[in-house]
Amino acid sequence: MASDTTILDFDRVQFSYERHRPLIRDMSFFVGNGEFIGLLGANGSGKSTVLKIAGGILTAFEGRVNLWGRALGGYRNRDRAKLLSYLPQILDMNIPFTVEEIVSMGLYPYDIRPSLTEDEALGMVGLREKAGEPIRNLSGGERRRVYIAMTLLQGAGLVLMDEPLANLDIKYQVELLRLLKALRNERGITVVMALHDIHMAMQFERIILIKEGRIIGTGSPQVVLSREALREAFDVDAEVRIDEAGGTYLRC
Amino acid sequence: MLKGAMKIKLSVIAAAALAVCAASLLVGPRFISPFHMSGLEKEIVLSIRLPRMVVSVLMGLGLGASGAVLQGVLRNPLADPYILGISSGAALTAALGIIAGLSFWGIITIPLLAFAGALITGVFVGAMGWKRGGFLPERLLLAGVGLGFLFSAMLMLLMSVSSDEGLRRATLWIFGDLSIADWSVIPYGLLFIVLGFIIALYRAKALNALILGDDLSHSLGFSPGRERFILFIAVGLMTAASVSLGGMIGFIGLLVPHMGRFLVSADNRVLIPLSAAGGGALLCVADLIGRTVIPPVELPAGIITALIGAPYFLYLLRRRDVLGI
Repeated sequence: MASDTTILDFDRVQFSYERHRPLIRDMSFFVGNGEFIGLLGANGSGKSTVLKIAGGILTAFEGRVNLWGRALGGYRNRDRAKLLSYLPQILDMNIPFTVEEIVSMGLYPYDIRPSLTEDEALGMVGLREKAGEPIRNLSGGERRRVYIAMTLLQGAGLVLMDEPLANLDIKYQVELLRLLKALRNERGITVVMALHDIHMAMQFERIILIKEGRIIGTGSPQVVLSREALREAFDVDAEVRIDEAGGTYLRC
Repeated sequence: MLKGAMKIKLSVIAAAALAVCAASLLVGPRFISPFHMSGLEKEIVLSIRLPRMVVSVLMGLGLGASGAVLQGVLRNPLADPYILGISSGAALTAALGIIAGLSFWGIITIPLLAFAGALITGVFVGAMGWKRGGFLPERLLLAGVGLGFLFSAMLMLLMSVSSDEGLRRATLWIFGDLSIADWSVIPYGLLFIVLGFIIALYRAKALNALILGDDLSHSLGFSPGRERFILFIAVGLMTAASVSLGGMIGFIGLLVPHMGRFLVSADNRVLIPLSAAGGGALLCVADLIGRTVIPPVELPAGIITALIGAPYFLYLLRRRDVLGI
């Protein structure tokens, strides 16, 4: 149920690129303020499409998408940019921007400079000393953090991230999750992240499990990721177990 | 936005550009001292060298800024109005207009035809290079080079069926010979280039965001399709004006933005004016070299820019990060 603290509300959303081949079917869910949500599913399940609809990049054919209680399509581009930001999976470019130049683009939706500075945003993601470096000199994990700093400067309360953990070493995956959780606690940002790694899904408070454009489960990962749900979503016979220390592992 | 070190670099570059412009007025087959000018020397400066300098600065300005915008819009550091066939498209429609004697909008007819040619070519090359929601660098390049060949062949065909005098002028014009520059063409070129430059500068933030990709630029509050269209108009105006002023000159739009990013900044709010100034200065230098290196023969400036630019283009092709392969 949507409430006063609901930021994003999907109500019976349908979407397809081609007629008669729906990618997203009758999808309803909501995102509460300050939540840390994992959108989990196999490759091709429609995670990226859901995030693009939520970011206003794609428009739902049917159903409603509300941002802070108002139709997402009713926002002016710049006004929407102050409320939500979308970070795509691939962040490559071959023009040599510096770290600081990219972070400062977070100010583009504003005429009057908000209180946070580029230096402070970079400090929050631990990259203050790399401000003047070309972004191509940074590692994959550091590049992600640069874009998160840009999002912080953008001031968007809702951050949609498409597979940011893919292609990162485990060290950077853990670092990135810790950073996002810390930013959620300190600055109150809400995160919705697409991912396909079941281990990483255990780090989220709530997951939305999708298959072929439909939600097949939502709730805490311990509850949702049952043996049956894993079989349905990923076509695999596996089980999430919790050990004595409270850690989780996948038993195949 | 402008930091201390950047201000110093920009001041040095501006001073160098002004020095080059001054040198192009004074240096030539005959050196003219600014302190002791005879009546004849004044006439040479005002009627020959000054319009030539103004035309080369305007052309270089348009081509340099166009290169910066194109490289950003297409997310491709190899983009340049000449390499992508946009200059050839503009030249072809302009030549068609000249040969057919079209003048339905008066003296502005030819620049407008060149603008239409530039715009149609730019959109066509962009459409050929677009696949799965993004531009593929190698497809863009091949489409541009292929169209460039086609348009050049059609231009040659037009020239071979035109009169002798027309052929000589057209040949010089195609190779970017500034010796045919005079005051009459300047106002229209100036109008188009200033208009295109203002549009490009006004949308410089959007251009920065487009470089990050369509999805991120949308996330930052821009409409990527709309911004690309506006920026293509700016490129079309500036390239058409350059071609109408002095023909096809290549590689200015490729070289100058790279130098600007290396020396100062990739931020288009700085890079577009910097590339414009650098393009103007570079074309002035190329013209100066062309008319002084083997006197009394004058080499078209386009040949000099190609001799500098083509090897740099080949160097860029070998860099791993440019084509993403």
